[in-house]
Amino acid sequence: MNGDFLALLPRREAVTAGVGTHGSSAPRLEATTVFAFHCADGILVAGDHRATAGNVVFSDTTEKILELDSHSLMAIAGSPSVALEMARTLQTSFEFYRRSQLRPMSLAAKLRALSRLLRENLPGTLQGFGAVAPLFAGVDASTRKPAIYFYDPLGAQFEAAAYAGSGSGSASVKSVLHYLETWGPHPATMGISDAVNLANRLLMTAAEFDSATGGIDPGQRNFATLKLLNSDGIRSFSQAEQAQLWQEGRR
Amino acid sequence: MTDEPYRWLEAIANRREYIRDQLKDATPVLAVSRPEGVILMGVGTGQSKVFEVYDRLALAALGNPVDIERVRQTAIEAAHLDGFTRDPEDVTARRLLNFSICPALKGSFEQIFAAPLLVEMIVAEVALGQANDVLARVSYDGSVRYLTGGVAVAHTSATDEASATEWLTAGLSPALSQQEVVERMVAVWRKLVSGGPFAGTAIEMHPSLDIAGKTVELAILARESRTQATYKPLILEKAE
Repeated sequence: MNGDFLALLPRREAVTAGVGTHGSSAPRLEATTVFAFHCADGILVAGDHRATAGNVVFSDTTEKILELDSHSLMAIAGSPSVALEMARTLQTSFEFYRRSQLRPMSLAAKLRALSRLLRENLPGTLQGFGAVAPLFAGVDASTRKPAIYFYDPLGAQFEAAAYAGSGSGSASVKSVLHYLETWGPHPATMGISDAVNLANRLLMTAAEFDSATGGIDPGQRNFATLKLLNSDGIRSFSQAEQAQLWQEGRR
Repeated sequence: MTDEPYRWLEAIANRREYIRDQLKDATPVLAVSRPEGVILMGVGTGQSKVFEVYDRLALAALGNPVDIERVRQTAIEAAHLDGFTRDPEDVTARRLLNFSICPALKGSFEQIFAAPLLVEMIVAEVALGQANDVLARVSYDGSVRYLTGGVAVAHTSATDEASATEWLTAGLSPALSQQEVVERMVAVWRKLVSGGPFAGTAIEMHPSLDIAGKTVELAILARESRTQATYKPLILEKAE
């Protein structure tokens, strides 16, 4: 079917199975592993620190979990230049709206804003070097409940009931999270200490099977970027806090 | 009319008189630089007087609510455009005043065939250290005074404004609690709106921060903030 847009994407080496997946039809982006899951205290959003270009480690100090405003997080996977610019645009847009209208932008409008940016990035996506597949975590002002959304590179948004992942190592993470959701212990009922340790273990697992995932190194006190989102706002977990929780989790 | 210098000067003088007359019933707004940040206060009856502008910037204004809103929107747009084009660090009170707010006010004041903006305000910026906080007193004609004493009062009587600033400056020590600072700000506000002479008379302190029939609006630009936005509504426990 020559006119089928979705059939066109693999031919142009655009993303079909998620950013950074290995395979002949995938773009040469091995950027990241980010994921988010519901726990008892809200949503925990996690990411490693690695950015790669092909088989070269570009940076091991990359921040991929970005605070867009006091109740919105974006986890970036894909082309960092495009993703960081999207985040900056959204940060300005959300804060401008909040300050000028004296109320925060609705969650639906925030989701649509990110969707629009992704759609506008279609040329980059089609050319295979500017694709972004982010995760978005926000809080609905009316229900005060946090929610996780994931996007395809064309801007379609989907709410994740329990968890979502993006980037080259996300397949391993999602497999483990699916197992836990099905057989337990359920992450959604975990307290924050257990959830933090689970997130670090998940990154360790992802790094085992994906060279583009930086993973963690407890011996060097090098842990994930972790942010908890709930109706109270965002809480970041420092490396020292994670190291302490890691030690306590091993006892 | 404007091609005759005398008539232009007369028109400007009439305009000043008109603006002062229109603003005479407006209630004052205050800002105080403290070790924990910059506290802003306004008292209204439904309309807000204290606003967040950008990450480290806020304003407290008196005047016509529609005009306050126009100036507020101008300030917010200019600040966000600057922050997006460059970096949030580059958005400063001086830049915002010199390139956006003051030219807009001056332009409006001198356009003698159009209605002027009926606004006076304080623009505040919190810095990493208290010594570098910026408090600017902006007049309806776009002129601006940068205040160095850590206290700013905007009131329609220049004499009372100076006396209130002096009293507050003398009465605020770093050892005072936030509650005590706000009590003094409210006391000054009460004294200014009571109508009598300010200088040489005692200022009555009330433990209650409530003002009958009005809403006391308090906000702080917090010096230490976990988020980029430092502006937060200040909620104090009310005394019984």
